[in-house]
Amino acid sequence: MSPVAKDEQDSDAQLTTDTGDRKLAAWEVASVVSSILIAEWIAASVAGGSRLVVAIPIALAFTFMIVSHRLRSETLRDLGFRFDNFFRAGLMLLLPMVLVTVVCLATGRWFGGQINFQGWHAGTPLTGQLALVFGWGLAQQYVLQGFINRRAQLISGKGWLSVLLVAAVFSALHLPNVWLVVVTFAGGLVWAAVYQRAPNLFAVALSHSLMTWVLVSTLPASLLHHLRIGVKYFG
Amino acid sequence: MDTRSKSKLGHLLIAKSMAEALLITAVSVGFYFVTTNPYLRGVLDYADGRTVAGWAVDEAQPAARVEVQLYIDGIFVADQAAGEFRPDLRAAKRAEDDWHGFVFKLPPIPPGEHEARVYAAHTSVAGARRTLQMIGKPLRFRVAGSDKGDAPR
Repeated sequence: MSPVAKDEQDSDAQLTTDTGDRKLAAWEVASVVSSILIAEWIAASVAGGSRLVVAIPIALAFTFMIVSHRLRSETLRDLGFRFDNFFRAGLMLLLPMVLVTVVCLATGRWFGGQINFQGWHAGTPLTGQLALVFGWGLAQQYVLQGFINRRAQLISGKGWLSVLLVAAVFSALHLPNVWLVVVTFAGGLVWAAVYQRAPNLFAVALSHSLMTWVLVSTLPASLLHHLRIGVKYFG
Repeated sequence: MDTRSKSKLGHLLIAKSMAEALLITAVSVGFYFVTTNPYLRGVLDYADGRTVAGWAVDEAQPAARVEVQLYIDGIFVADQAAGEFRPDLRAAKRAEDDWHGFVFKLPPIPPGEHEARVYAAHTSVAGARRTLQMIGKPLRFRVAGSDKGDAPR
């Protein structure tokens, strides 16, 4: 057995549970999801120009997740902040990414949108924008995979049920933007499945940022509603 | 995971839930006070086919004239600053001066039952939000056939 595979098996060993632990893990997932929903739907609706109100539930969620990792003795390496399995995870992600790109190009042509891979954000160089979205993707994938996926595995074990739960949570957080809900559900399935086989957050975050770039470059902005979610979708 | 850690995690979840409940409460109460004026006082005294009248005072700014908007059957008709002569308000200690009344002259209204509502406009978040607050209670009135005219637009 290779050292990387053994390491991943050790990480899996932490995910064996009893019934009480399953309930606790389910509560943890519900708690983090509720924080994000509060930020998206309640705080954002009343915050006006202030981002402080939105930052409070997000800060609570991150603080909680960090303490939870400590109490469960999870290391950064366990969570997927590592490089040894980066290429293995990247290889698994490559085919779905190519497929999604082809589907996006076809859909973009179908809707008659202008395909432009250079004009993501006016005023920001493409590399800067990609770096920014990589950071944002890493934060999202840490919550989604490093926390929710790991807790989902505590609830229902490795496999399609926990993968489905992660994808469902990810897409629900993008309501009411219907197109994003569909896209994030598909993305959530792929990223969750790959993470369970090769837990590497850098690879899924890179995939996340590249797929966001493909989406905004191929599909019309009117279709994606400028990637707006939560109460801001209506604003 | 040992029992002590589980217990700590449970307590943390409870504490987080309580913090979020407090946050939602604070946000809701704050939202109410930002979008409404709790110091607004007023009454819709009278409504018929020709005139709608009443008074409005902002007790936080007693010298200011409150902006009021008239709606007939839910349709905007007119707005004005409540600055008509109403000496009775000062006598009743509801205002500090005599100029807080409003009188709307109505355009021709079709015959039948109608409802008049008057709202005070309230601006908040540096003008980003503008909300309406009803003055007193809505008044219903009847327009006879001889007063026939166009509906308000």
